[in-house]
Amino acid sequence: MTNAIRMRQVWTIARLQLTRVFFSKRSFWVYLLALFPSVIFLGHGVEVKWKRERWGAQKTESGILQSIRRGDTDGEVLQKAGMPITDFRSGAFRRRREIGGENEEREIERRYMMFFDGTNRWDLRFENGILQSKRSRPLNDFDEDRQIFAGVFQYFYLRLAIFFGCLGIFMNLFRGEMMDKTLHFWFLIPARREVLLAGKYLAGLIASVLIFGTGAALSFALMLWPQDPAQLSAFWQVEGAVHLFWYAAAAGLACAGYGSVFLASGLLLRNPILPAVVILLWESINGILPTLLQKLSVLYYVQALCPTPPPVNANAPLLVRLLSAPAEPPAAVVSVLGVMAVTAVVLWISSKAVRRLEINYGVE
Amino acid sequence: MAVYRRGYQRYQGPLTGEWDRLLVLPRFAWESLMQQRLIAILFVLALFWPAGCALFIYFSHHLDLLQGFGGAASNIFQVNGEFFFVFMNVQSFAAIVLSAFAGPSLIAPDLANGALPLYFSRPLTRTTYVFSRMFVLAGVLSPVTWIPGLLLFAMQSGMAGWGWFAENYRLGLAVMGGFFLWILLVSLIAMACSAYVRWRVVAGALVLGLFFILGGAAELANAVLRVDWASALNPGRSMEQVWRAMLGLEPLPGPDAWQCAVCLGLMVAGLAVVLRRKLRPVEVVS
Repeated sequence: MTNAIRMRQVWTIARLQLTRVFFSKRSFWVYLLALFPSVIFLGHGVEVKWKRERWGAQKTESGILQSIRRGDTDGEVLQKAGMPITDFRSGAFRRRREIGGENEEREIERRYMMFFDGTNRWDLRFENGILQSKRSRPLNDFDEDRQIFAGVFQYFYLRLAIFFGCLGIFMNLFRGEMMDKTLHFWFLIPARREVLLAGKYLAGLIASVLIFGTGAALSFALMLWPQDPAQLSAFWQVEGAVHLFWYAAAAGLACAGYGSVFLASGLLLRNPILPAVVILLWESINGILPTLLQKLSVLYYVQALCPTPPPVNANAPLLVRLLSAPAEPPAAVVSVLGVMAVTAVVLWISSKAVRRLEINYGVE
Repeated sequence: MAVYRRGYQRYQGPLTGEWDRLLVLPRFAWESLMQQRLIAILFVLALFWPAGCALFIYFSHHLDLLQGFGGAASNIFQVNGEFFFVFMNVQSFAAIVLSAFAGPSLIAPDLANGALPLYFSRPLTRTTYVFSRMFVLAGVLSPVTWIPGLLLFAMQSGMAGWGWFAENYRLGLAVMGGFFLWILLVSLIAMACSAYVRWRVVAGALVLGLFFILGGAAELANAVLRVDWASALNPGRSMEQVWRAMLGLEPLPGPDAWQCAVCLGLMVAGLAVVLRRKLRPVEVVS
């Protein structure tokens, strides 16, 4: 049998399997997992657009807002800046403070005003009618949004969505057939077991790459949607397409790496949850492992492809922050070759396992 | 009596009490669970941390053994609410892993093999069935959660004296109450997943995934929407907030203990609805 015929067999098996992977009732949760970030980014986009439109009608000149100083009265502020978008008074309360050894009790009335200058929102806080603090922040910060997307991609997509998605998709390829008592149909077709393995892996890979790649790309697009058009066009001209490509590549490689591992564990073990727990723990503590051990994980190579480093969690326990010492990321070529080499080795082990696989529906 | 005269006769012997019936299923299930090597290994692994905590308490009362640390030892080796919070956090993870392996084998096989009519033809209601299955998990999870917690509390009370106990009895109650809540939540999640997917292996993955993915999704929503209320959707985080309130510790940023408790209550109600829908003795297949 020539290689061309085997390739055709692989594709035929992949095509048949693809329908099951894409449209099976059991796969719907994978779509949910892949599209959840898009829904949240859509919500954020709608909120920003809505606020921009609503607040834009009551815009105040930026120069006027900058001219307001601490110590101004609320009347002066209203005279200068006009009606605020939000004006909120809190009930009076007493504050006791010690001045020169004597206790003084004052009644304080708080007031909060919010203005919008077309780009930034200005938060003004008053106590007894005197301005105490003035703070401005952009309604939408593009750099911050990109940083958040990097965090979402690296913490949610790579560590959770793709991990559990691949666990579901690739484990289903053989273990699922075993539980459905349908694996013997596949073993009866006139094709080598390795061909069957390649076909099933290809189907899982295509499905996972399409589902998670599309999910990540959609989230990326929805993150960009509410941004300022000028900033957006500058971003697309310089690095937008490159970022999108590397995020998609990272998602694809993660699917290939995790997919091969879960396919193998589905073949070698009756309960693939155990390796899943071990891998999940290993990948979770990856950041605090010694440099050498960090290199023994899919995440190390895949994260290196991401164009923006993930934000550091300032709320993480001190011990974790002290122990966190990310290893020097490898070059992109090394990352791609590294994951592909791991995938090839794991698939080779799987091909040995599938040849020895015996159907025993009774123990499932 | 001739054989043809032996018609149906109601059982006239003594009946088991309602509470005894509740324990029939757990009795057999515990036996079969403990025969699984993996469960036994996980069970033993889950007891390492309590053993380490016991050593910690011992050293906190024998600081003379740690002279190498200097004065810092007395600051590090303090047994207080924070100590029990860390203990509960680690053991709660052990409880999740144990329930992911032990939980799905409780209901999924009964549903997959159509065995529910056999149970419900006995004097067992759906509620009794759910409670007895929950007892199985509670029996497996208790020795790694509230029992070592109470032993640690007793050990500390014994070593620190009556004064410490009188001042901190609330910690012991919090450890026990907090773990009871956690066992209830984890057991319901394990049983609902088991009933929903009917596949033991997939249900196990779902139990694990639910905790991790809900945690990740909550953090994602917080980061993207610049809010902190989404933390309440993370069962682990919500429970931590409730535990901190019970232990009298500073609350974590985000929704307060009451809001988290309401969210947890809603989750429990949702899981109970799933179990009610899925546990039907008769299934009509069209």
